[in-house]
Amino acid sequence: MLTPDYILQLLVDGIVTGSVYVLIAAGLTLIFGILGIVNFAQGEFYMLGGYFGITAAVLLRLQMLETLVVGTLAVAVVGLLCERVIFRPLQGQDMTNSIIASFGLAVALQNAALLVFGPEPKILRTSWATVPIHVGGLFLTLQRAIIPVVAAALILIIHLVLRYTWTGRSLRAMSQHPTMAQLCGVDVGRTGLVTFVLGAALAGTAGVLMSSVFLVQPGIGSMIVLKAFTVVILGGMGNIYGAVAAGLLLGVVEAFTSGFLNNMMRDIVGFAIVILVLLLRPQGIFGRSVERA
Amino acid sequence: MRRITPALLALAALALVPLASPSGYLLHMLIVVFLYVILAAGLDLVMGYCGQYSFAQGAFYGIGAYTAAILHRDLGLDFWQTLPLGVLSAGAFGLLLGIPSLRLSGHFLSITTIAFQTIIYLLLTQWTSFTGGQYGLPVPKVGTLSLFGHELFRIEKVREFYFLALAVMAVALLVAWRLATSRIGREWRAIHDDELVARAIGISVTRDKLVAFVASAALAGAAGVLVAYYLEGVSPTDFSIWTSATVVAMVIVGGRGTIFGPAAGAIVFTLMPEVLRATADYKLIIFGVLMIVMVIFMPMGAAGLLRRERS
Repeated sequence: MLTPDYILQLLVDGIVTGSVYVLIAAGLTLIFGILGIVNFAQGEFYMLGGYFGITAAVLLRLQMLETLVVGTLAVAVVGLLCERVIFRPLQGQDMTNSIIASFGLAVALQNAALLVFGPEPKILRTSWATVPIHVGGLFLTLQRAIIPVVAAALILIIHLVLRYTWTGRSLRAMSQHPTMAQLCGVDVGRTGLVTFVLGAALAGTAGVLMSSVFLVQPGIGSMIVLKAFTVVILGGMGNIYGAVAAGLLLGVVEAFTSGFLNNMMRDIVGFAIVILVLLLRPQGIFGRSVERA
Repeated sequence: MRRITPALLALAALALVPLASPSGYLLHMLIVVFLYVILAAGLDLVMGYCGQYSFAQGAFYGIGAYTAAILHRDLGLDFWQTLPLGVLSAGAFGLLLGIPSLRLSGHFLSITTIAFQTIIYLLLTQWTSFTGGQYGLPVPKVGTLSLFGHELFRIEKVREFYFLALAVMAVALLVAWRLATSRIGREWRAIHDDELVARAIGISVTRDKLVAFVASAALAGAAGVLVAYYLEGVSPTDFSIWTSATVVAMVIVGGRGTIFGPAAGAIVFTLMPEVLRATADYKLIIFGVLMIVMVIFMPMGAAGLLRRERS
């Protein structure tokens, strides 16, 4: 059982799942860090990404990469509407209100999806699902292999945007000190919109990517959003690079847990780590030591 | 006294309901309302008074219910024995969650409680040998209460259970109300308003927060034992994060920090899906949308709205 190939396979599987966690958690941590919203509906954006991807691929006969773009854009539009209609009016109020609103949004979107797309699970069929990649003793379909690649590309793009563009600078300014940023001329409304749309779109991309690997059904977002929360805590709230490291870590730890212990522990291990981390290092594994308020 | 009189009148009116020989459906709905009133009033101690966020009320509810089911299965204990034990075990878990939570506040606290809630839910679903997994466990009827060999009363029908649930709710509300209006309730408010100042004037913030967590969890445990015996079984789906979030919504929409506001929120959110039943498939969509609309237009809850109108 302890062959190098087996361990390597677990590692790669973990990185694939971990990449999905990274995308969802990066969106969550952006929305949290800049807008201060704990977005329960992030899992529903992921779910919608899957459905929009499947619908677009079937109706327009798209290939994988085109599907990815269309699905992501569709979720971005949903994110835009949500920010304008729901979260904008709640800005500046007690944070529980936006949590409850995002919870209401999650319930509404889940049941709307149930109504529109039906309860039976769906899967995205692409030609890439049957292209195998063998490297040594390792086996991976092309479908799965592109997940970490796309995730890495997106994180790189976000990094460049945050670092070198004015939009990125205003986002960072907002996360550091909203009042100061506003005084310096940052358009708070626009920045909030960009942040939310970007966060939703990242979850949407993850949803399209996974829709060809796992079955899509209206309830799939519930568990994944909770895992993304754990990634956000582990990585330090509002810290994208922390979310990348913690997401990959969670994916790998889960893969090894189900490979060596049992499948039951797989879902629990992440939450147990979180409670431990919060006890020992409340700022997260990669977070700076600050007062947590 | 001004506030206790309407509450007593409401309880008296509720006690008279079964005399009007209502349908079993109405009694059922009222019993469910009573359970959620206990959960929401309990959570209000932590959220409304002490100002700490908790998304784990559903987990404590589940701990109470499973304590009853497991103690019945393994030790053959009956309702009257498991009720205090369920309250105790939920309270103990509340302490367990409260201790790490002392160091955290705001979002960190809410996410820790979400993690705790999820771990409990996963244990209920996955630890099949102990909790029965997805199928849950059976629980008998409440049966008779005997004292020194005399049969005092018997609880088998819905109508009889209704009085039991009403009594437990009344006691739970009394406990919550007494805590909230006593010295510790005022200390909670001080912590809520400004923790630093509270600490500076000599309030033991640590102890007070723990008391809030334990009391809130213990009340949820009582509701859990009740629901286990009412449904004559437990299954994990009733104790998920969605239950917790619904209870949070009840507290927020009802108006936090008022005990009676969250109780009203519990009534609204329990009955709303029933009222919306005519809309069939759209029921939960409307439920979600209403939740959003209510927090946008009543940020301080219904009780806050009333208070503002009055002043």
